[in-house]
Amino acid sequence: MIRSPLTLALLSLALAACSPVDPQQAVSSALTDGVLLPAYSSWAEANGQLAQSGQAFCADGQTLSDARQAFLAAQSAWAGLQPLQIGPLAEGNRAWQVQFWPDKKNLVARQVQALLKSKPALTPADLDKASVVVQGLTAYEYLVYDPTIDLANAEQKARYCPLLVAIGQHQRALAADVLERWQAKDGMAAQLQGFPNQRYAEAAEAVAELLRTQVSALDGLKKKLGTPLGRQSKGQPQPYQAEAWRSQASLANLAAGLASAERIWRGAEQDGIQALLGSERNELKERIDAAYSDTRQRLAALQRPLGELLGDQAGRGELNALYDSLNALHRLHETELANSLGIQMGFNAHDGD
Amino acid sequence: MIRMPLASASLLAIAISLAGCGEDKAPVSQTPAPAASSASAPVAVASQIDEAAGKAVVSHYADLALAVFSDAASTGKALQGAIDALLANPTDATLQAAREAWLAARVPYMQSEVFRFGNAVVDDWEGQLNAWPLDEGLIDYVAADYQHALGNPGATANIIANTELQVGEDKLDVTTITPQLLASLNELGGSEANVATGYHAIEFMLWGQDLNGSNPGAGARPATDFVVGEGATGGNNERRRAFLKAAGELLVSDLDAMVVQWQAGNADNYRASLQAESAENGLRKMLFGMGSLSLGELAGERMKVALEANSTEDEHDCFSDNTHNSHFYNGKGIRNVYLGEYQKVDGTTLTGPSLSSLVAKVGAAADSALQADLAATEAKLQALVASAANGQHFDQLIGADNAAGQQIVRDAIAALVKQTGAIEQAAGKLNIGDLNPDTADHTF
Repeated sequence: MIRSPLTLALLSLALAACSPVDPQQAVSSALTDGVLLPAYSSWAEANGQLAQSGQAFCADGQTLSDARQAFLAAQSAWAGLQPLQIGPLAEGNRAWQVQFWPDKKNLVARQVQALLKSKPALTPADLDKASVVVQGLTAYEYLVYDPTIDLANAEQKARYCPLLVAIGQHQRALAADVLERWQAKDGMAAQLQGFPNQRYAEAAEAVAELLRTQVSALDGLKKKLGTPLGRQSKGQPQPYQAEAWRSQASLANLAAGLASAERIWRGAEQDGIQALLGSERNELKERIDAAYSDTRQRLAALQRPLGELLGDQAGRGELNALYDSLNALHRLHETELANSLGIQMGFNAHDGD
Repeated sequence: MIRMPLASASLLAIAISLAGCGEDKAPVSQTPAPAASSASAPVAVASQIDEAAGKAVVSHYADLALAVFSDAASTGKALQGAIDALLANPTDATLQAAREAWLAARVPYMQSEVFRFGNAVVDDWEGQLNAWPLDEGLIDYVAADYQHALGNPGATANIIANTELQVGEDKLDVTTITPQLLASLNELGGSEANVATGYHAIEFMLWGQDLNGSNPGAGARPATDFVVGEGATGGNNERRRAFLKAAGELLVSDLDAMVVQWQAGNADNYRASLQAESAENGLRKMLFGMGSLSLGELAGERMKVALEANSTEDEHDCFSDNTHNSHFYNGKGIRNVYLGEYQKVDGTTLTGPSLSSLVAKVGAAADSALQADLAATEAKLQALVASAANGQHFDQLIGADNAAGQQIVRDAIAALVKQTGAIEQAAGKLNIGDLNPDTADHTF
């Protein structure tokens, strides 16, 4: 028997807060189940396979080509997480442990060589204490793709394998830990689905952070394209400043990131951010749909790797057109979409390019 | 999981992509209502800022800038004098004197960097003075294991050894080394690692490469690298001498030009346009500069990258091992702006209407919290200085095996991050919302 009117009032408030009709909560919850959790699971799985592949390759049970495939799968899963980098992966320097980019001074080469010189019999425990530069995919890519390393040579293979195996294990453990932080009771997924919680006072805060993360990643995609295009360096192409130039996966990574950003917009079942726009905003919705489609098609139409496209006028023209398309997509989110939803983006540190 | 304070949540909002290592950001234009958020900005609330009091604070801020840049210019001239003395008679003693003059010149300059963010006139100018990290092989001889930016066509151009540079498809005539020539070589071939001017190019001339990695020791260029004739080392010494002289001249003329921008009573300079703006705009620039230097630049680019990557390549004053002082005086500069104080090179202290007093009027608690954070940060940065005095410099602290050293750096970063939150809170008290200091893409 509840006698206090205040308690009753609080209780009804609490019940109202839990009501499933809150559209913000519906979107945050649907994106968590339909987009975020599946992406984090795939990433953890790809890293499990990367660890296995490294071990198999080093035990001569797998070809270099297989090892590269496993790497590309892990790298692609990682690239797809960029617009979803909210919560555990955005904290505690975990992202740097997966990838160190931009690597302007080729630290990866210098540090891999220095590490193996000081610890020829490297153990996974040694790697856990080493620089973030050598712990992740950037170093793995260097090992399996750099032209100065020949893993077909038995001597070199013996030299680099301890590091290859250790990176695979480090990534597997890291990804499993992040996934656990998502799935745990009161973990990240729960915090995006039930409010209030320790992280968000209400669903609107969660939606705002999801949108900011996605918009920031769209800006990051511009940077990943604009840097090698030389948009910040007097228009002179800088092919080695591209992400994943060694594995020639720069454009594939962009595509993976773009696809995830679009999933945040659409949702797995049309229940993403776009569901928050009322029918009176159909025109904006259509423009954003069209912008995604334009960027996606331009990217898909590129027939050559980034490094080659940067090498001639026609290629640079195509890349600049892609950049402009990406920029239009980013601006639509940052300004009109954010304004329509009443979400503050602030201005961005990279405005003006 | 602890719930994030609002301040850091708003910083995280724009800080998701991976960190970069560059020094030059697109200039940030500071307007009270950025286009990106104007439509959804909250309904305007009556400003809590008394316009006259606010303007007095902004005017004193310009006085501080004038004093700091004037000291940077005078210590720059002293450096130039020491360079002339070194070139007139290259000995260990004159080289040491030139190094000491360089170290002294860094003290005011590093305190000037808080003026960089938010004031485009400084940000657009500073690349020629303080760009880093640089591919020093552009300038002079380097060790065999020298590492540079991949694909930098100028990374081993060696201006001192060559009268003609081949950069990509272009040939450049560099026969006569002048200040103008050096300025034109900056960012050669589009690579921002090509730095031929400023403090760090001069630092490389005076110290040479630091080949000790995370072990003790700085660069050790011999004075004989500047000797012509008997006993000369290094080779091409006439050109090395010309390079050092030209770099020194350019530094002094650049510093003098910035002093002019901050002088009162000049209708055409930057100060005039700053003071013509609303007080709110000026205060926003001050707070934005404090926050951006605290967070993105000092905590992020200059400390976190070097720490997490254990990278001496990303150390700020890497040739001279003076990084601890540079960081300390960066922090001091932030505190100066808030307190409206600056201790000049001549020992006197300039004081006047401060941001602190303005904040205290509307939020005493926010003011004392920020004052406490600024003092705490200074103590943490002082720990870097103390460590250097005890023989452990910044490049040793960031060594992969130096857990205790890393903790000293980590503590300083944490203090800077906390202080940035307090800066945002103080800004909020003045109704300056959405400060969004530049994070340089770092998350903390």
